[in-house]
Amino acid sequence: MLRPDLMQALLPARERERIEAYALDDAGAGTDVFGTSATGIGNAYALAYWLHRYYFRVVSTGHENIPLSRGGVVVGNHSGVLPFDGVMISTDVFRHTDPPRLVRFMVDFFVYSMPYLGTLFRSLGQVPGTRRNFDGLIEEGHLVGIFPEGADALGKPAEDRYELFPFSHGHVELAARHGAPVVPFGVVGAEEQQTVITNLQPLARALNLPFIPVTRTFPWFGPAGLLPKPVRYFIHYGEPLEIDPAVLESIEVRATEVERVRDAVREQIRVGLEHRRLVNEGRA
Amino acid sequence: MLIAGARRKIAAELIACLLEDRRIEKILAVGEGACPPGLLGHDPNRFMFHSATLDRRRQVDNLFLFEEFRERPLDTVVHLAFSGNPKGYDVSRHEYNVNAARHLLDASLRHGVGKYVFLSSDAVYAIGPRGDYKVAEDAELNLDPSSPKSVRDIIDAEFYCRAKMDSPACEVMVLRPAGVIGGGVMSGLNLLFESHPPVLPIGFDPMINPTTKERLARDIQLALMLRGKGVYNIAGPSPGPLTRFLEQRGITPMRVPGPLLRQANRLQRMLGQTRYHAEYQPKRLFYSLVLDDARFEAAFRQRASMLTEG
Repeated sequence: MLRPDLMQALLPARERERIEAYALDDAGAGTDVFGTSATGIGNAYALAYWLHRYYFRVVSTGHENIPLSRGGVVVGNHSGVLPFDGVMISTDVFRHTDPPRLVRFMVDFFVYSMPYLGTLFRSLGQVPGTRRNFDGLIEEGHLVGIFPEGADALGKPAEDRYELFPFSHGHVELAARHGAPVVPFGVVGAEEQQTVITNLQPLARALNLPFIPVTRTFPWFGPAGLLPKPVRYFIHYGEPLEIDPAVLESIEVRATEVERVRDAVREQIRVGLEHRRLVNEGRA
Repeated sequence: MLIAGARRKIAAELIACLLEDRRIEKILAVGEGACPPGLLGHDPNRFMFHSATLDRRRQVDNLFLFEEFRERPLDTVVHLAFSGNPKGYDVSRHEYNVNAARHLLDASLRHGVGKYVFLSSDAVYAIGPRGDYKVAEDAELNLDPSSPKSVRDIIDAEFYCRAKMDSPACEVMVLRPAGVIGGGVMSGLNLLFESHPPVLPIGFDPMINPTTKERLARDIQLALMLRGKGVYNIAGPSPGPLTRFLEQRGITPMRVPGPLLRQANRLQRMLGQTRYHAEYQPKRLFYSLVLDDARFEAAFRQRASMLTEG
């Protein structure tokens, strides 16, 4: 086992203070009601901080759009075979909000049926994507992260890079019901961390997994072939969107609002791609 | 007050709690066989034990016809008599579990009982990776055809209670308690904790919110003494990972790969190291089950002062 004190000793002092400043609502047995533990968050942040700063060298803007106290829904694009985009969003928000806030993503169920992985995700504050879990998180004032493209988007082939899959409707309905703002974000870079050649869908279905990718490195190099390339991430958060409460009464309004969120995410991706181009050209 | 299932540890605790309240005039405890030693010391003017087979309608009916209750009839019935042990399950066990609930409820309604409480279990809930962080009373039930028959018996018995919940004269309640730890009770969770050592699957650490015998008895007492009907969860004070509760008691579990859990449990039972049955709730050690008892909290615990003030 990794000792939390040693893990966190690797962090700069101000980042350790940030972990200590995170207010975990201890339910009595060392975790909050969702199973999140201070040790889990501390260890995860100790590792993710270095990935954020030195491996993916994340450049991010728009943090002023993230609610500092109330609940909110953080919605964006998903890609990269392994969900490092989710890890980087959580880390980025944690680093750039004061007091630090944790984005708790709604995670695909299959994760929780796997040994260690489900327990790990839960201790980091990531919960299975059920309506009741969403309700509980928002009611307690948390930031809830959703990838409305679903886990399938992780296996997005290279020719579909930065093309958004259709969005599920649940996030706008739930945001409207709670009157929570939707903060769109775009992640640029994750799509290049792996080059997906194809997706072995029949095998994935047989194994009850969302996808099994064939990439330039997987399965040829074994599990190590799933690791991401050290591409630079550009993350942009857009202005919060208030969802029309009529989504609870009309399927047409709901579809329109989903498209509005999708357009907002697409716009953040465009901003991110432009930002990357300028950086690559040495103009930013 | 009639308490069926007097041989259970929780019944003994509940009876002791209730007898401290002078407003309760007399308790009739019903069980199979002789009176348990723990109940022998109670004041015979306020407590009596009777042996009866609850799956026999006539015997159940006779419980309401004792001379002691002719002037002041029974006004409250608590049904705790349930055989959850999957070992040796057969049709007679099914008849006992389901028919006892039916006969007792029917007799209660016929004899003008004002409150009927059935102690169910959290085993009625479906468990899996799609689990909610807290399970409310309207959550999905474990109706999986492969679920243990005793769990289906509890659900059957609950359905009888729910069918009569509209009764204007009787408040019918179903209580679904979280697993009980300690006190030598025969709950699945406690049997796991009493194992030498508890065997858990590698890589899983489900969230639980167990209660204690004393807390559960107090909660049942509140449910009996305050007005209310319907289905309620009853949970312990705080949720946490299973291993945290084991650590607090100085228990070190043994880990085996998930697919080998049942075999390891079977071997442990053969060696006398455990009385826990992994088959009873096979997913319980893999996935979280935290009961949401906010409704019970609001309807009963927050009104507990009314009980003490009379």
